[in-house]
Amino acid sequence: MADLIIMAARRLCGLTAAAALWLAGSLAVGSVQAATHIFSGSFSSPAEGPHSRAEASRFLTQATFGPTVGEIDRLSAMGYNAWLTEQLARPASLQLPFLDQRIMEYINAGQPVQVWQDSRQDIWFRNVLFGNDQLRQRVAFALSQILVISDQNGSLEGNPTAIAHFYDILANRAFGNYRQLLEDVTLNPSMGSYLSMIRNRKPDETLNIRPDENYAREIMQLFSVGLLRLNNQGQPLDGDVGTAGVQTIPTYSQDTIRGLAHVFTGWNYSTCTAPTPEQNEQGFSWWHWEYCPSGPEAQDWRLHPGWRTPMFPWGENTGLGVLYHASAGSKQLLNYPGVTLPSGVLAAGGTARTNMQAALNNVFNHPNVGPFIGRLLIQRLTTSNPSPAYIGRVATVFNNNGQGVRGDLAATVRAILLDAEARNPSVAPAHFGKLREPLLRVTQLWRALDARSNNGRVNEGWPDYYSAQAVQRSPTVFNFYLPNYSLPGEIATLGLSSPEFQITTDTYITRLSNELGGKIFWSWRGNPGLGDYDPVQIDIAPYVASAHQVDRLIDTFDLLLMGRRMSLPMYLLLRSHLNDISVADVPWDVGGLNGRRERVQDALWLLTTSPEYVVEQ
Amino acid sequence: MTSLKRRDFIRRSLAATAGSAAFMAMLGKLEMAQAQSAGRGTLLGVGSDYRALVCIYLYGGNDCFNMVVPRDSGGYATYAATRGSIALPQASLLPLTTAEAPQGGGQFGLHPSMTGLRTMFNAGRAAVIANTGPLVRPVNKALYEMPGTLLPAQLFSHSDQSVQWQTPRADTTSRTGWGGRLADIFAGDNGNPTLSMNVSLDGDNVFQAGIDVSPYFMSSQGVESIGSIDTGAANCAGTNAWNRRRCMTFNALMNRQYAHPFQRAYADKVKSTLAVSSMLQAALATQPDTDAVYRPFWDLHGLPWNPANLVELPRLAAQLLMIARVMRVRSMLQMSRQLFFAGIGGFDTHDTQLADQAPLLADLSQSVQAFYQVLDNPAFNLGTQVTTFTASEFGRTLTNNGDGTDHGWGGHHLVFGNSVRGARIYGRMPNLSANTSNPDNAGWGQIIPTLSVDQYAATLASWFGLVPADRDEIFPNLVHMNGPLLSMSGPNLGFMNSI
Repeated sequence: MADLIIMAARRLCGLTAAAALWLAGSLAVGSVQAATHIFSGSFSSPAEGPHSRAEASRFLTQATFGPTVGEIDRLSAMGYNAWLTEQLARPASLQLPFLDQRIMEYINAGQPVQVWQDSRQDIWFRNVLFGNDQLRQRVAFALSQILVISDQNGSLEGNPTAIAHFYDILANRAFGNYRQLLEDVTLNPSMGSYLSMIRNRKPDETLNIRPDENYAREIMQLFSVGLLRLNNQGQPLDGDVGTAGVQTIPTYSQDTIRGLAHVFTGWNYSTCTAPTPEQNEQGFSWWHWEYCPSGPEAQDWRLHPGWRTPMFPWGENTGLGVLYHASAGSKQLLNYPGVTLPSGVLAAGGTARTNMQAALNNVFNHPNVGPFIGRLLIQRLTTSNPSPAYIGRVATVFNNNGQGVRGDLAATVRAILLDAEARNPSVAPAHFGKLREPLLRVTQLWRALDARSNNGRVNEGWPDYYSAQAVQRSPTVFNFYLPNYSLPGEIATLGLSSPEFQITTDTYITRLSNELGGKIFWSWRGNPGLGDYDPVQIDIAPYVASAHQVDRLIDTFDLLLMGRRMSLPMYLLLRSHLNDISVADVPWDVGGLNGRRERVQDALWLLTTSPEYVVEQ
Repeated sequence: MTSLKRRDFIRRSLAATAGSAAFMAMLGKLEMAQAQSAGRGTLLGVGSDYRALVCIYLYGGNDCFNMVVPRDSGGYATYAATRGSIALPQASLLPLTTAEAPQGGGQFGLHPSMTGLRTMFNAGRAAVIANTGPLVRPVNKALYEMPGTLLPAQLFSHSDQSVQWQTPRADTTSRTGWGGRLADIFAGDNGNPTLSMNVSLDGDNVFQAGIDVSPYFMSSQGVESIGSIDTGAANCAGTNAWNRRRCMTFNALMNRQYAHPFQRAYADKVKSTLAVSSMLQAALATQPDTDAVYRPFWDLHGLPWNPANLVELPRLAAQLLMIARVMRVRSMLQMSRQLFFAGIGGFDTHDTQLADQAPLLADLSQSVQAFYQVLDNPAFNLGTQVTTFTASEFGRTLTNNGDGTDHGWGGHHLVFGNSVRGARIYGRMPNLSANTSNPDNAGWGQIIPTLSVDQYAATLASWFGLVPADRDEIFPNLVHMNGPLLSMSGPNLGFMNSI
């Protein structure tokens, strides 16, 4: 109903130039949304919705890789709760089986295996474009930007299956428990390679070796508690209330890093069966620890089981014992109110496994985890600058899902999406929203325009070239952008975080605009000039057929891509532009086909590069 | 009043118009207003009409203790005992010949990959700045261990230390870089109101982020344009008529007033991208990279040079080549003060350090050598006016973890250029003993810096033209960088000759 009112208003506005000018002058950006909320907001809780197709589209922008006509209709009919329930039940679309199948195809054909990181990008795109576990994939994608591994790493760059297996863990655990996820990630050999936990060894005075601190540092700084003690609303605690300003309190010290580093010792590939005591006496054991393979030598390394199974304490259940685990010495872990270990100190002794469990529990139960991880997930899903109250509501659900369970990701994600701040623009802060991630701009275009592959492939192996973003290919463990990045200028002055701006540089503005141009102006189904290189093609035929109805064209794209938030001035600019393109049936454009096509494509390109679209609200 | 305060005044009076429709237009004029008011009175050094700094950032924390290595028997013995399996063989070190004996004596050599640096150093055109790092106050081991001592926050953390290296404010979480602050002051000296004084070849960085001035990003492949709106000339007025309508609507959308600060910021970024790219593209087109003057970049890396089919260069070489090309068209761009940022990654050598670090140091050394061969060519004649320096978030631990090193603190850095008072090691090389009694060892092999990044940066900034009053505002901790805990006191480490 609300949607029809907007469309009618626009047609009325187009009638006289004077009326258009008046409206342009008096309507602020966002006034169009006011119409949609006549029928929602104050009459019901956020979970009872959507109340319009515009609201449905906006929700799907946050919860999927892009709205489609079909999904807007389905969500409008079933409502948020039923849709979420359905999504939570859907199993994960996986990456590894696809890669394994491709590897076996080469092997069975007796050819060298050509399965690399671009193959991994391919299956990621296929899953997020066409998989029906949309919310799970969206959460997995968010988790991959928090629990970061990357193929920009010597030991992982040639190993697409290892990285794919890690992503499958994220997808499978996206609605599980964060404590379990932390453990899966900690014992994962790709993470072990990326942050040097694998083959980390206890101190050795004679060799001047101490445990590597890489993973100990990052599991705290990035995967759980962050650098500063926070309250439940994600605001830094003040260590000295009497002094002006906030005196922040660090969450951990170098001692804690060292303590954790000592816990994270002694682990190796699960395929590394320790040598016999006889072999050890002949001095082979260090060699075996250091060089034992992740799988049989004759087998392609991309299939090696050592990369697909959790690491294990090397030497366990042998006469050697877990030789390289630092069980001696107490270890300072995190200390916080309510900590189980006395003053956060893990007593000397224990085994590699028991010490690992104690350490993960110690980290997981820190009060920071809810607000820290909650805020990061909010930034990936709904807004870059959640209010403290929003963070607090989400953290509260993380802390206890209502059934006494801490770390329930399904409940946390539900809380993020159904919070009033996310569902009701009239109660959200004025700066609510975020700059759309480049990869989401691509998937949103493709999904909205019913893109399909003509050969099963996606062939988008290096999206980082044009966007500085590619799944599990960030330059460092700090992801593509920092959560607290604040663009110099007005955004920094306002004290806002704007992570995605960190990769929105001149180079990438240009390249992404050009890439979207290629996907719109060139890779459309039916373009006779297309070869095999761009197998994914959008379907513009239905829109070309009705391109004489300019209002409807703009309205449809507005609904699909912008949740009907397009401002009147932008609408009028597009309208005028499209009407200027002739669709007359003339000898040099039979049926006005080229003109129609140009209208559709121009509308799409101008919209998907516009500030009102690029900044999702 | 200092030039900084003059600019604050102007910015605030312009800000008074914020909220009116005129404000957006005024924002574009801000640079012009600053240019008119600031003048050239802040420049030191006479006679030169171009000055540039090039920052080469080494991501990950370069293990400098395997870059500059003691080669006298005593020094080497200590080094080898400490470094164990990752020690470089003594015979492989490239000997450095210093014009004066270094503080604390000893003789030093370079990692075997760094033939270019060795040549430049021994010719007096490069210097080593020893054991530098972020400090809030000078400290020694006793102070480091004492609770309450002012220390940089989050030592040994990549992201924090790299920010502190670039700001250099070891006592705050400021994300405004000293290069950005230089641009705030000097940008007005450039005749060009749209191209930023700060150009980055490696994307976003803290060093070049100013309060008013943001850096312009380009890649080693140059400047690209947005194809769908490219009419071939600025303002949609070129001859590619098929793009004209789109160009005009696109510009109209970017010129609208937006209510959301992110939309405003995005629109502004797009507009500045368009303006600058067309200008820069036109300028660069006059000086292609197939010009033989750029051959050293290929020759010094042992790569074949063929103007019809240029072989891809290593990462830093490609960036420095583009920087040279931009410098070459400085008159056309009306730039007389520039700051460049380039970067190479891969220095976080927790594992397989010996194999990983060698090609990175080769890229660094030979690419800078090539850069200066190009700058010395009569077509440029800029060797004295361009100073290049390294930065990295930390040096690494003395001791190893099996096959690599972990995050450290103090590290050695390099400065290059004909204005450098070269063939010297400034500061004091640390004691490399792994004993806990080593006074330079904070513990676990992390070396306490005996020079602060503030001093290092201030010396470079002063050469660039920064006057003392502005310098003390940009580097507020500099006033504390004195005394016996440092190897050199004060804001000027003396490694630059004035022009």
